[in-house]
Amino acid sequence: MTMTKQEFLRSAGLKVQVLELWLEQRWLVPEEEAGEPRFREIDIARARLIRQLSEDFGANDAGIDVILHLMDQLHGVRRALAELREEARRGRG
Amino acid sequence: MRNPYEVLGVGATASPAEIQSAYRKLAKKLHPDLNPGDKAAEERFKEVAAAYDLLGDVDKRKRFDAGEIDASGAEKPPPQQHYYRDYAAGNHGNPYADASGYADFMDEDDPFAEMLRRSHHARANRRGQDLRYRLAVDFVDSITGATRRLTLPDGSTIDVTIPPGLVDGQTLRLKGKGAPGAGKGAPGDALIEVEVRPDRRFTREGDDITIEVPVSLTEAVLGGEIRVPTATGEVSMRVPKGANTGTKLRLRGKGAPRRGGGHGDQFVRLRVVLPSAPDPELEAFVASWKGRDYDPREGRTS
Repeated sequence: MTMTKQEFLRSAGLKVQVLELWLEQRWLVPEEEAGEPRFREIDIARARLIRQLSEDFGANDAGIDVILHLMDQLHGVRRALAELREEARRGRG
Repeated sequence: MRNPYEVLGVGATASPAEIQSAYRKLAKKLHPDLNPGDKAAEERFKEVAAAYDLLGDVDKRKRFDAGEIDASGAEKPPPQQHYYRDYAAGNHGNPYADASGYADFMDEDDPFAEMLRRSHHARANRRGQDLRYRLAVDFVDSITGATRRLTLPDGSTIDVTIPPGLVDGQTLRLKGKGAPGAGKGAPGDALIEVEVRPDRRFTREGDDITIEVPVSLTEAVLGGEIRVPTATGEVSMRVPKGANTGTKLRLRGKGAPRRGGGHGDQFVRLRVVLPSAPDPELEAFVASWKGRDYDPREGRTS
């Protein structure tokens, strides 16, 4: 289930200019369908996190860029770990 | 519930700025999304967030200090339902997760790397990798926009649309032009870092463009129409009477396109240039010119 840009702006409580900026920075990369962006639940959660980083933690754009990049790597590593664990379990069983 | 001052580690007389800074320091350490594997951090983060909700609000803090509300806070903020990590770790696949944090392990030649590679490849509906390229464009094309064909290492080509006003070092993302995905996974994107070749005429600063244009002595003294190159072609410009080297004229709207509409300006810096060969007539004229003793260095200390 995905959202249009309008629906996303409403759910995430974002101004369109802010969203454009984030898209340009590639902090958010929605799916695309027939040339139109389609946003997912994860994008809402990610938008909320970006706002917290900026408003609550005082991170600037450069800081947010670094944080998101490291976080995406961290989740990649966690997923790889989880898959290795599965594989190890299967191997044993 | 612990005393919120204790939770944030500040004194009862702490200023709002001190409270905010204490909160930020703790929140940065404890935020669940910055600790995706730490369950205990989440509980502590909630405590810290609740304490800040109380003390970060001047009005609520006053009421707490006066004993009107207790540490549980009369009006509790609705607890955050979901964190980013809940989606990031979901089984639907996190489109943002990125293998670059362990890609070097996969390159090794050992059983562990083999296992990693297998799980990476076996991942159903895995999104294709982003592929990075570089492209150089001429300055003028970076201002007006253009289409450039990029030949990839495998011999195929992609047409890259250079948006008007592109800046040096900007990365363009071409959706779906990266490596193919697995299963239902979407292909990755092509990320094209564009280098703008310097132009010996134009320099750009923000949305404004500057060019230096030579003018003759006659044009400088008497004024006149000259033709000036811009990124979108030559235009006519009036040089005012009494122009000089260093005089800066503005061509409104002839700069780079602005994000969100409109254009910057082009600034034309004039440089007065005398004829390259000595000219006896000019010499005779200047020798008899009343203003010949004008000293532009007058009043200088050096």
